[in-house]
Amino acid sequence: MTACKIKTLNNNTRMSTQELLQTINKKIEEGITEFEIEACGQHDIGGSVWSKSGKNITFKITNPGQRVGAMAMDGTKIIVEGSAPADVGWLNSGAEIIVKGDGGDTTAHCAAGGKIYIGGRTGTRSGALMKHDPRFEAPEFWVLKNTGSFSFEFMGGGIAVICGYECDDIPSILGNRSCVGMVGGTVYVRGNVDGLAECVQKVKLDKFDKDFLKSGLDNFLKEIGREELKETLSDFTNWMKIIPLPKALKEKNITVKEFKDTQWFTDGLFGDLVEDNGEVFALSQAGDARLRKPVWDKAKCIRCNLCVKNCPQNAINEDYNVTDNRCIGCGICSAVCPKSAWTMV
Amino acid sequence: MAAVKVNELRKSDLPWIIEYDESKCIQCGKCTAACSFNAIMPCVEERKSNSITAPRKTEKVLVIKQNISLDNYCRGCGMCSNVCPNGAIKAVRNKDDKYSVVYRAEKADSFKKGGRSNLNTEGRTLDKIKIGRISQMTDPSLDAQRHTFELRTPLGRVLKADKLNFGHNGEALYETTPLPPNRWIYPIIFGDMSIGAVSWRMWEAMAIATAYLNEVMGIPLRMCTGEGGIPTKLLKSRYVKYMILQIASGHFGWNRIIKAMPDMTEDPAGILIKIGQGAKPGDGGLLQASKVARYVQEIRGVPKADLLSPPTHQGLYSIEESVQKMFLSMNAAFNFRVPVAIKVAASVTSVSVYNNLLRDPYNIVGGFFLDGLAAGTGAAHEISLNHTGHPITSKLRDCYLAAVHQGRQGEIPLFAGGGLGQTGSFAADAFKLICLGANGVFTGSTLLEVAGCVGSDTGKCNACNTGFCPAGIAAQDDRLVKRLDVDKVAQNLVNYILATDIELKKLMAPIGCSSLPVGRSDALITVDKHISDRLDIQYGC
Repeated sequence: MTACKIKTLNNNTRMSTQELLQTINKKIEEGITEFEIEACGQHDIGGSVWSKSGKNITFKITNPGQRVGAMAMDGTKIIVEGSAPADVGWLNSGAEIIVKGDGGDTTAHCAAGGKIYIGGRTGTRSGALMKHDPRFEAPEFWVLKNTGSFSFEFMGGGIAVICGYECDDIPSILGNRSCVGMVGGTVYVRGNVDGLAECVQKVKLDKFDKDFLKSGLDNFLKEIGREELKETLSDFTNWMKIIPLPKALKEKNITVKEFKDTQWFTDGLFGDLVEDNGEVFALSQAGDARLRKPVWDKAKCIRCNLCVKNCPQNAINEDYNVTDNRCIGCGICSAVCPKSAWTMV
Repeated sequence: MAAVKVNELRKSDLPWIIEYDESKCIQCGKCTAACSFNAIMPCVEERKSNSITAPRKTEKVLVIKQNISLDNYCRGCGMCSNVCPNGAIKAVRNKDDKYSVVYRAEKADSFKKGGRSNLNTEGRTLDKIKIGRISQMTDPSLDAQRHTFELRTPLGRVLKADKLNFGHNGEALYETTPLPPNRWIYPIIFGDMSIGAVSWRMWEAMAIATAYLNEVMGIPLRMCTGEGGIPTKLLKSRYVKYMILQIASGHFGWNRIIKAMPDMTEDPAGILIKIGQGAKPGDGGLLQASKVARYVQEIRGVPKADLLSPPTHQGLYSIEESVQKMFLSMNAAFNFRVPVAIKVAASVTSVSVYNNLLRDPYNIVGGFFLDGLAAGTGAAHEISLNHTGHPITSKLRDCYLAAVHQGRQGEIPLFAGGGLGQTGSFAADAFKLICLGANGVFTGSTLLEVAGCVGSDTGKCNACNTGFCPAGIAAQDDRLVKRLDVDKVAQNLVNYILATDIELKKLMAPIGCSSLPVGRSDALITVDKHISDRLDIQYGC
């Protein structure tokens, strides 16, 4: 079958996005599965299309507008010659999308399936909110060079590979403040990375990672037509991966108590001014914590023992001595004494 | 039993009535032992059986009774209920209380109390303001939890670009004359509560929380020391850089500060000249003798006596003079390296004062702290607390707009306080005041609440002035002070600020501001037309 060629600029008249997309859909209903589109900035090309026969659909596009391959699905393959503006592969659920040049901002935004291959660099918030439904294959997002700042924000799953090619002179191939709020997935990076969010960690590659990258690189470089870079990019000494920090590893600050015990004045700020060993008194505690203490007047006492019997703490002995570490200073001895022999002071 | 006469103090005169359930009481004595006011006591009551057939027996029983006394009376603090294992005792508000009349009639003295005014007739302006400008499609929306925010605000004189004293020597810029000192600090300041007004444990907990927030959490919060002296070892430590030293009209404790200067390795964060406070404008500090503990006597250099600070700084007779004398001297104290700010009670005259300070030709005025009438205090005459002062919101706004009209907003940073968090939304109050023009806010009462203060603005406890604070916060008697758990209070203060930090961001994010929205009154609306007119913010209904 020959590809359906669509030229969107005819006699200085530009086909609208709606016209183009409806034309494509009509052709697909007619059984056409290959398209070559000379676009003029039309949006959403290649998204949410499928053939009833289950055949794959292929798009070759030049000069597209935003959201190439937005909501694209399994069985769709999109090849953009040159660059594409924002939102390439937005909500991609299974398509293979290849951009030979650069991708704009929010490339691969919310992608949850398929593969997105970028032969240059991408803009800010790339890969933000990527996710992975475990019943399907994880989405992959490959970038030859670097991404802009705030990329991989709130990423929940999937795999991104940022190759850092020709980026030796930039301080961070993910720009600044990338991976903010990232809770899942993996971002492989080659080269300098700085200004990452606090919620992620950079770790070394293991064998599984290297195997994945080796096989993935073959396909990626082939699709973007840069197979000559295989050797350079396969040197894994410069690669790391970024993953969310497990909750247990999140930086745990010392407690205030630990700070006080290790860095504060050893005898307290007021150690040379007041007597204070740090004990915390309960609301009704015996001993020094008592707000009032009973004092016995021997001359008034008639030895009726009501105080001894009524003391809730058994703090008064037969000789009317008070055991200080039992007495809480409640005043019951004083209340029950018929002769006012006990005074609370 | 003596005959009861009508002109004696009655239980029904007192503000709180003790409700006691004898059937639940096990006579453990914990309630009376715990009561710091000595307001309840064990008593023996005589009972007679009411049988008309059996021989009548007299019986003596032990019960808990309320003291009927003008001095040892129940403040409703609730410690008795807290310790009672059986819920047998509680204090109940007496809505017919005559205490304030009887007290004056008996004592021929004005009534004094602590806490905040209990006469909240004016309502709260801040509660009638909402954040009504929500950025959804108009501004970049931000994620409060995960994005970065810049909350810092300046303390110190800020010069306009054309007033910066820069020269150029062909290669680099240099200062032709020194720039005024300036610190970028967190927009919440731990308000000035002196050692003496609060217990040493409370003060230390605030100091630890401040140090921790700075050194562990990276939150540059500053604490104002209040004017009650400062432990020398704090002055000589690195932590002094988080402290704003206060000088008020009593000039307490400054000899130790001066003596420590040669050994200080860090400059303090600032100096705050306290002219007045919102809770009792026109009145000086008041520390009652019961709170002047041994160590307070030492660091203040005074005997055990009621300490009444003069209502004004005695050497100052005009605004101009205050700039020349007080500001100049306090700037000179640390060789012009430390910003010096001033704190006044909000008043109808606040704008005049602020305008005068804005004209300070020496660039030595580093901040204007306005304290509104809903502020709390350790001790005040009730008449001042309830009837003097000015609400913070409109006066802060007036000052800010006065500066705006001269194109000079931000030159002398404005800080607002007084009753923040009174209805439970400290962060919202702070945020609204910032949108109305404050560079930051300060609070004391909120910290006390975090520390376990049991008081309320409707007459519960409010005994900060007495030295009998049942929570050990405003006490100086070591048996009460030691009730306070320094570690727990410090941790809770830290936690409260961390929570507030989240909440401030939760308000900054929806208005699309990643830096402090000082003066962003377009973010606010009010459901009250008068407030809308007065504050020049949008009316919404």
